[in-house]
Amino acid sequence: MKIQSPWPVKPFLVIATFAVGIALPQYIPQWYNWRIFEWATVPAVVDFQPRARAAEPLQEEAERLRPDTVSLKSNSSRIHDPTATMDHFYASLLKTERLQNGTVTRILHYGDSPTTADLITADVRGLIQQRFGDAGHGAYLIAKPWAWYGHRGLDVSASGWKMDPATLKGQKDGRYGLGGVSFIGQTGAQSEIKLKKPGHTKLTLSYFGQPGGGEVKIMAGDIEVATLNTDLPEPADAEETWPVPPEAQNFKIIVTRGAVRLFNVVFRKEGPGVVYDSIGLNGTWAGVLAVHINGQHWIEELKMARPDLVIINYGTNESGYRNYVETTYPKDVREIIRRVRAAVPESSVMIMSPMDRGAREAGGTIGTVTTLPKLISVQAKLAAENGCAFFNTFEAMGGPGTMGKWYMAEPRLVSADFIHPMPAGARIVGTLLYQALMDGYNSYKLKQLRRAVATAAPAATPTEARP
Amino acid sequence: MLLSSTVYFVFLTGLFLLYWPLQRWRVAGLSVLLFANYFFYAKWDLFYLILIPGASFLDYLIGRGLGSAQAPWLRRSLVSLSVFMNLGILATFKYMPFFLATYAGIAQTKAPAWHWTFPLGISFYCFQSLTYTIDLYRKDGKPVRSLLTHMTAVSFFPTTLSGPITRVLALAPQLEKVGRTLSSEDGGKALFRIGLGLMKKFLIADYLAENLVNRVFDTPNLYTGMEALIGVYAYALQLYYDFSGYSDIAIGSALLLGLKLPENFNRPYLALNISEFWRRWHISLSNWLRDYLYFSLPGLRSKWKVFTYFNLFFTMLLGGLWHGASWNFVIWGALHGAALAFHHGWRTLRGNKPASANLAVRVASRLLTTHFVILAWVFFRASSLENAMEVLARIASLTVSLANISMPIAVVLAIAAIAHYLPKRIYEFLASLYIRSPFFAQAAALAALVLAIQYVAVTGAAPFLYTKF
Repeated sequence: MKIQSPWPVKPFLVIATFAVGIALPQYIPQWYNWRIFEWATVPAVVDFQPRARAAEPLQEEAERLRPDTVSLKSNSSRIHDPTATMDHFYASLLKTERLQNGTVTRILHYGDSPTTADLITADVRGLIQQRFGDAGHGAYLIAKPWAWYGHRGLDVSASGWKMDPATLKGQKDGRYGLGGVSFIGQTGAQSEIKLKKPGHTKLTLSYFGQPGGGEVKIMAGDIEVATLNTDLPEPADAEETWPVPPEAQNFKIIVTRGAVRLFNVVFRKEGPGVVYDSIGLNGTWAGVLAVHINGQHWIEELKMARPDLVIINYGTNESGYRNYVETTYPKDVREIIRRVRAAVPESSVMIMSPMDRGAREAGGTIGTVTTLPKLISVQAKLAAENGCAFFNTFEAMGGPGTMGKWYMAEPRLVSADFIHPMPAGARIVGTLLYQALMDGYNSYKLKQLRRAVATAAPAATPTEARP
Repeated sequence: MLLSSTVYFVFLTGLFLLYWPLQRWRVAGLSVLLFANYFFYAKWDLFYLILIPGASFLDYLIGRGLGSAQAPWLRRSLVSLSVFMNLGILATFKYMPFFLATYAGIAQTKAPAWHWTFPLGISFYCFQSLTYTIDLYRKDGKPVRSLLTHMTAVSFFPTTLSGPITRVLALAPQLEKVGRTLSSEDGGKALFRIGLGLMKKFLIADYLAENLVNRVFDTPNLYTGMEALIGVYAYALQLYYDFSGYSDIAIGSALLLGLKLPENFNRPYLALNISEFWRRWHISLSNWLRDYLYFSLPGLRSKWKVFTYFNLFFTMLLGGLWHGASWNFVIWGALHGAALAFHHGWRTLRGNKPASANLAVRVASRLLTTHFVILAWVFFRASSLENAMEVLARIASLTVSLANISMPIAVVLAIAAIAHYLPKRIYEFLASLYIRSPFFAQAAALAALVLAIQYVAVTGAAPFLYTKF
């Protein structure tokens, strides 16, 4: 009698053999690395999860986005400042907050590609200016050296400029201005900068003056603000500031004669308030500030800028080169700090670590690039050795694997390269930095208060002791 | 439960083992399938256990009514009720946030929260269900007598997420057939299609998405014009391999249960013109839009030819809106609508002559059609209109560098492009080779594929692009 199989024979045999084949490595230790099936999957078939209404990372981050209600959970979210180097910045901020006449606190934030697009910095700028007042947008380049360059609240369209970013070392004299890019324009070269909001009262143009330098005309709307002659007897870095009508939102910089070499413009408002300069260079690394840029030139530029706080926020690009991190990197960072100190010795200096940088690991999970933790520990050590403050962005945003979590969030918080945050992700990091700055500032104020009480107390004691 | 997840294949294996011994009894076989359908829905959300049976039951009753009613007004009322119910489901569970946001924008108030949107491509269910009542209204078939058959056909799980949209009247007779068998050939075909789908999804679509396409569309300004252009080409391939990979798994899964679903793709980037493209791309949706929307629009029989063009445009505009309530999809739909209308007019002007046999003309036509489709995909993929313009502006910058196109990306792109243009007979040859192989070789090939996916693709199970529609 022929027994008929209840299943189609060949497909059944294929499926059964396949199932045994993929389950087998679980039981043979030598094949353990070839496991592609877990028995845990089977019960998952009957696991009826309630519908998730939001991705978990977004909920967590939403909580962190409420700076006024959430206290900093751990030391990893704070600025490490054992030498109180941040006190200069906090003192300036205190004066600004007390509305002391015209006091402006200026922050220079040097960073790599996220900063080039004003990601993170735009969010910190917004938050800090909301609390302490808006003293203007700050520095902005003459044109876009990279399509990625852009600041929130401004836009530039330009033509006729030869653009040399410091990263590419296109200028032999190493002069790239505060913003790290040199712009050379002949007659007719021009830039039109549009500000979304009015209110700026001063415009500063930073340039390189030299014998035979050309002329540049600055317009605010239809009004000619000034004509600048860059013809100087000796080559020198210089800047010129002019008052501009506060209602003006469109500014033009036009080369009217000869050749000029410009670096950047700075837009300012009447204080008190904060200026937060976002100075990003695409694809940059510590060697650019330490070696590519002429040291004396950068020192002069920093002196003219007079920042209260300089943030050095590099490391993402370096994390791709372990050998560099272990050899030349510390020397480059020391040189950057030396240059900043030589220019503005009284200013606070803070090293800000890069964000997490994701990479696919075996098995498909998104982990952290292996060199990154090493680089961050080098940064922390260098900050401590050189009396700088240190902010560990990587730990503050959640440590290893955060970009993996951010990539899986809906909507995504990081781009598919696991490096560049999406605007919502940048806002999270910006808020974390702002919180950390405010936490340090509040501690500083408390310290000042305690000091004031302590100095007042001895004087009061004899009076109180009087019968 | 995505069709590419391990959980799905455990589910499918379990169903295969349960279904075949029971399918010789009609009610038992159908009950197993219906249970599997609802189990599949419930994995997404338990609410579907109320929604889908309720809506299917009502459509079944409407179908019975349409089968017996003769009065035109009654037939119209019945079909209207079905249309109203199914579109109501779509409006409530898919478009409500858009409606609320639009209302909030007009009233200048905050949009109220709406938690009743569902992750499943609910429109595929509604479209499938509408084929039944509209076909009956047009007297293109007879009502399904058995409630069990109707409920099973209308909610058939492989088609739930992204089609192929299958006419209920085509699927029901297959379900009704008792004592079906699965030949070795059909079994081999089914497993081959599933394997092919997985390969398309994981080794090509997901790889291109993560390593190039998403990066270019997330941050276009970080890439040169040439890289952005390659990113856009890569998206055209990603979308094809993702969606056709899904269709392969769906068709293979159904075939493993002895049921045949319609094909959904036929090498679309070989189309000579835009009309042919839509006969090769997402065929079941194109047919649905033609049969149930375009033919339903007024004016087709009018002497005013302008109606034909307008209806073509309007159909594609609605098709665009169906993909999502945003300007991107409006532009995408409008571009395709305008192109179809233009092509229709051009063909009429030429007296409906067949396409030229000249090789150069055919190559130029293919290139033109494909590039038009790819241009429109930019709007389809971009997160916003601004994002689409950014991508196009990057391409227009004409900057040249390929620093971000690594060798593995270039290789996958080349394989994807070549595989798309390969003649069908090569796939048929590979399929027959697989079918003729002994069972252990078939199993080994599948295991090797899964292993390759595990160790090469390493991207996890990303959702199929079309499941969100």
